[in-house]
Amino acid sequence: MRFPYPCFVLVLVLLASPSVWGQNASAPNSLHNGGDFSSNSRSVEKVPTGVILVKGASSSASDAMTPVPEDGNVANNLFSDPYFGLSYPVPAEWMEKYKGPPPSDRGRYVLAQLTPSDTFKGPARGSILITAEDLFFTPLPASNALELVNYSKNNLQADYKVEIPPTPAKVGGHPFTFFAYWSPVAQLHWYVLATDIRCHAVQIVLTSRDTKLLENLVSDLNKMKISDDVSVPVCLKDYASDATVLARVNPVLTERHFNPIPVRIIIDKEGKVKHIHFLSAFPDQAKVISDALWQWRFKPYRTNGQPVEAETGIVFGRSVQAVQRAADAPVE
Amino acid sequence: MRKIKLATIFTLTVLMFGGITVAQTDPGVQSASRGTGATIINPSNDPNGFTAFFTNGLARFQEVESVSNSPQGNNGLGPRFNMNQCSACHAQPAVGGSGAATNPEAEVIANGIVSGSTNSIPSFITQTGPTLEVRFPFFFNSNGSANTSNPNGGVEDLYTVSGRSDAGSCSLPQPSFAAAQEANNIIFRIPTPTFGAGLIENLDDSALLTNQVTNLNNDLGISGTFNHSGNDGTITRFGWKAQNKSLQIFAGEAYNVEMGITNELFPNERPLPGEDGNGGSGDTGLVASCLNLSGTGYPEDTSNPTLTPNSAVLDDVSAFANFMRFLAPPPTGGVVLNGQSVSASAISTGSSLFSSIGCATCHNPSPGKTQVSNFVPALSGVSVPAFSDIEIHNMGSGLADNVSQGSAGGGQFRTAPLWGLGQRIFLLHDGRTTNLITAIEDHASHGSEASTVIGNYNNLSSSQQQDLLDFLRSL
Repeated sequence: MRFPYPCFVLVLVLLASPSVWGQNASAPNSLHNGGDFSSNSRSVEKVPTGVILVKGASSSASDAMTPVPEDGNVANNLFSDPYFGLSYPVPAEWMEKYKGPPPSDRGRYVLAQLTPSDTFKGPARGSILITAEDLFFTPLPASNALELVNYSKNNLQADYKVEIPPTPAKVGGHPFTFFAYWSPVAQLHWYVLATDIRCHAVQIVLTSRDTKLLENLVSDLNKMKISDDVSVPVCLKDYASDATVLARVNPVLTERHFNPIPVRIIIDKEGKVKHIHFLSAFPDQAKVISDALWQWRFKPYRTNGQPVEAETGIVFGRSVQAVQRAADAPVE
Repeated sequence: MRKIKLATIFTLTVLMFGGITVAQTDPGVQSASRGTGATIINPSNDPNGFTAFFTNGLARFQEVESVSNSPQGNNGLGPRFNMNQCSACHAQPAVGGSGAATNPEAEVIANGIVSGSTNSIPSFITQTGPTLEVRFPFFFNSNGSANTSNPNGGVEDLYTVSGRSDAGSCSLPQPSFAAAQEANNIIFRIPTPTFGAGLIENLDDSALLTNQVTNLNNDLGISGTFNHSGNDGTITRFGWKAQNKSLQIFAGEAYNVEMGITNELFPNERPLPGEDGNGGSGDTGLVASCLNLSGTGYPEDTSNPTLTPNSAVLDDVSAFANFMRFLAPPPTGGVVLNGQSVSASAISTGSSLFSSIGCATCHNPSPGKTQVSNFVPALSGVSVPAFSDIEIHNMGSGLADNVSQGSAGGGQFRTAPLWGLGQRIFLLHDGRTTNLITAIEDHASHGSEASTVIGNYNNLSSSQQQDLLDFLRSL
């Protein structure tokens, strides 16, 4: 009977003492919004799925009106790329299931990749890949489409066998190089058609186990149209030299990303930079380089004595390691 | 008439069963021991005695860490952490590997590692699911919504030491996992296996750059790049986005980020990304009651000059790095499919198919030979059968996680080395699948460099695809 009061006090002490209350007393701080915390457990604003919002180095251009190679698009069953002046009706029962990757810092573009649709009835499926290799920036030892195809043929992996060596061909009245190889183990055939447009090697790569399908696709390529527009700028490799750059402001890259930054520029008839296209650059790099390039002045390029617009390429940042040409390569 | 019907039924039956037998199947995790987890060091050719460092590192890799008062002196855990032992997460099929079949993160309350009064097991952490690291791609706004203009991407540790008997009065909430899930503002990563990592570390940049140009000769639209160290500009190579330069850095970062243990490389306690004032949280770092919980001062892991033998002098991070550095590449092995051994010729065919359809363009069977090693001869001048080019590639919207690390953007990942794939349970960076076929198909999506290769895979016959799958499970 003497114990109830002390017990009551003890209970109160236990309730009030954080150290004895243990885990509940050290309960985490109440949630607040911001940073890593949100009390908004029923948020209707969701981060979109399947959208890459946080980009690394990526392509950009100084204006949206001037076509760039990565503008290639499939719409209404027609592939078109205004930069290359290309258009090609997508064959019946074919589709673009996935868009290609962004341009690479080595100058490679995937303009379109086409696959048979679900209604396709052929005995074997296949793929159509349309790419472009920027010959200003490729590390491969090629200055035109024929050299690129020859390099490919001369350096085929052991898994492949040449079916038809690089051969001149015409597609839609335009000169191409045709090259075919196959994999005996996979029973897959690759038909490659390559041509030169604006100092790019544009390639159409057809792949299937069914050579009849490939032949039909090659035949179908004659529906491809390639513009003969002479108003596009003249493309000139390495035009930005000491002899032609009359005024130069060097960009100061403050962030060190250690990446090559390939840039194509269009120079107007007065020698001013008219358009800047970054194949691959971080936004801060594109800003600094653009600010500098707008101040560059070139010796106007002339054709038949008349100044014309010219397109050239410059690499800022890290240089791109190039494969030595056969003539330059050491003898093993 | 009856004969025709019977014949038709027979034919249909044969076709149906034929269809079943030729349909490709992932052989699954190969259970037979292949000897994975052994050291690469040849004890009879170890002039500097690094075998002892491997053994010591292996032991430390398995030590259980406490916040304070550990009788073994393994203090410093937390205040935030994912696990209390390296080998708990790097477990499959041997110490140093990837996540095991049973996820230890799901058992931390039952095992007394965290207090169930102050921590809860997030819904995405399950006993049979992958062992996960969590990141929020974006910070939350002051109104609690995800702010897609403010990238976060740092690790959000699952648990806190709050409520542990050795954690004093430190009181921290877990990050808002449920809200992040609701806002689709959460991504996952699984532990990278570390077998053979010493070989990858010992590849000179020149070997990787040469390999890169060689790989460019492809008709697949593939053209990768490298991640680089912000310190010296050289190629970085460890982690899902090749964001870490060396095994020392890899170990030091993991010790700090995954276990909350400060060390000689990362000497300061790590708040959550937003607790350092990022994302409008208003926070100014960890509260004082959660600092120096070990009572030892910082860094919690240091070198031990007074200890013997030599290997004991090293700090834990160096010991971990040595353990991983001297782990041998995972041996290849036979494959069992539906209880039957797969023939060597089928695996050989699968290997050729892997190369022919373009998988090997990125998953390069060997990106080069190692430079001369000052550690052990076994790391010198040898091929690195990693099945990776160590480059980062655009993997498309289907795999993108919107986390940038170094130069790698939200859609770029290092080509995951495939050595050891035969005994991996959870696949892809987030462990989303255990099925190899799904993992292959998920390489194709908008913006992926691999879509054409996956198209080639789909152009193979079922039996060819089976050979390819068998080959992959032989790795």
